[in-house]
Amino acid sequence: MIHTIVYGFTIGAILYFITIGLSLTFGMMRVINFAHTLTYTIGVYMLVSLGALFKGYFVIAAMIAVVVVIPISYLIERFIIRRLYGESLDHTFIATFAIALIGVDTIKWIWGVRPYPLSDPIGEYLMIWGLTLPIYRIVIVMIAILLFIGLELFFRKSIVGKIVVAALEDKDGVGCLGIDVDHYFSIVFMMGSALAALGGVLYAPISSVHPYMGLSILLLCFAVVIVGGMGNLRGTFVSALALGMVMAVTARYWSQGAETMVFIVMAIVLIFRPIDI
Amino acid sequence: MRERELIGLLVIAGGFLLITPVLSVNRVTDFMIFCIFAMSFDLLYGYMGRLSFGHLLFLGTGAYCSGLFLKYISRNPILAIIVGILVAGLLGMLIGLIIVRTTGACFALINLAVNHIGFFLVLSPLRKITNGEDGFGIHSLPFGFLNFSSRTTMYWFVLICLVLVFYFLKRVTSSPFGILIRSIKEDETRVKFLGYNTFLYKWVTFVLAGSVAGLAGTLTALNYNYVNPNVMDVHGNVGAVFACLIGGAGSLYGAIVGGVSYMVISNYLPIYIQRWEMFLGIALLMIIFRFQKGIWGYFQGVWEYVERKKTVMKAMGVGAVKR
Repeated sequence: MIHTIVYGFTIGAILYFITIGLSLTFGMMRVINFAHTLTYTIGVYMLVSLGALFKGYFVIAAMIAVVVVIPISYLIERFIIRRLYGESLDHTFIATFAIALIGVDTIKWIWGVRPYPLSDPIGEYLMIWGLTLPIYRIVIVMIAILLFIGLELFFRKSIVGKIVVAALEDKDGVGCLGIDVDHYFSIVFMMGSALAALGGVLYAPISSVHPYMGLSILLLCFAVVIVGGMGNLRGTFVSALALGMVMAVTARYWSQGAETMVFIVMAIVLIFRPIDI
Repeated sequence: MRERELIGLLVIAGGFLLITPVLSVNRVTDFMIFCIFAMSFDLLYGYMGRLSFGHLLFLGTGAYCSGLFLKYISRNPILAIIVGILVAGLLGMLIGLIIVRTTGACFALINLAVNHIGFFLVLSPLRKITNGEDGFGIHSLPFGFLNFSSRTTMYWFVLICLVLVFYFLKRVTSSPFGILIRSIKEDETRVKFLGYNTFLYKWVTFVLAGSVAGLAGTLTALNYNYVNPNVMDVHGNVGAVFACLIGGAGSLYGAIVGGVSYMVISNYLPIYIQRWEMFLGIALLMIIFRFQKGIWGYFQGVWEYVERKKTVMKAMGVGAVKR
């Protein structure tokens, strides 16, 4: 049972990393970004290439991979997403999905469709009370908790964070104060993309690497956003961990039903608390 | 109006007959089935303004129900088609009660969730009868002169189905009912304020769209003589949205043009261009930023422009003579 709980927290932590950016885009700019997990995939593939370059230095390779994603996400934001503000749901959906298609195809072009194996970079196990737990998973959960605290401080103390929180409440009001909301949004977008890449980099060693990995996790991320509430940062944290736990517990008793259970939870939440967008 | 409808039907049937020698009978049958599905999606999305990410659920339901009917109960293909449509419609009635109350992203995502649940159901818990991810083959007996294992019969049958569905949906959408669902797309609150029970109208549209998608599903099953869970894979829904946008949402002609274009892109482009997904992505970005009304909408715009020019010219000409 302890194993299940640790696994659930790991998946929840990964979902949390990926979902923050999605939730902020949703809440702040009302754009459903299907291309969000593209940065997650790019981060993973960067890690694959850099990992071969920096043999044995996983941390350095991971950091560079996350940093490389930032300019790419800036380009996406500047040329595509920025033109979609205020567009209807279907148009943003198609445009962002088109970006995801182009991105996935580029990845296939550069790295090929063959899945890459990546191994657990720590590879040691922690033994407590007769249990063996992979240290790597515990590290992931630790990073997620640190990140949560860091983001909480960022959005409360720093001026950028405060502006973003205010813009989530009332975008026009912030604009009336003479603040260029779009400028701050692009910062938030890059931050969200970098965090998604971090999630990918951390998750890749314990899952498989293939070009469509972003699309397959995207639907789960939507479920997290819906359950946690759009643009609600604490809600995202709680719902990511809760849904990760739902997945792990379901998988323990009924391995095929794990993802479906998440969607059942999402449907129930949507029925009782519909979102309006 | 009557005459125009007849001409429209003939043009569609003629168009498909014309492209048959160029492509092939099998491919065009596929295209037509996809067009039926695209039209049912367009009824929901183009006419009622509700984007759904889970419309394949109904196609899959139709395919599975008719397939299971043929496999376990009777080998009569016509009965199987009717069963498929009815069950898909029934499913639409049930889940529609909850789903149509919502709008926008909520509608899209609930549909997605339900589609995922359906996909999972046929994949795993119902494995004993649906044979899981391997799917199952079906075998239908000829019904009268209709022998569904012959490719040409299938082709003609699907063509007739397409034309009938087109005619039916054309009548529905140009009736007062159709005008009402279009006004729901524009502003639901006002329609409610006029005293209409908008829930009922949305529900009926949802059920209609579901049944037509079910028909497309039964035809898919009969066409391939084989059903597997891929028919209702969640990721396949993107195709219908693309088709509607490429052709131009909110018009049945647009759905057909878009359906054929999408199928041509996804079937033939990979042969010639290896990076066809990139091409599709760039084409879609072009559509979103330049031609939001799609191919059909663009031509319609040009046509209207020419007509207006003509009337202006005529008026000016008349004026000149009078002077």
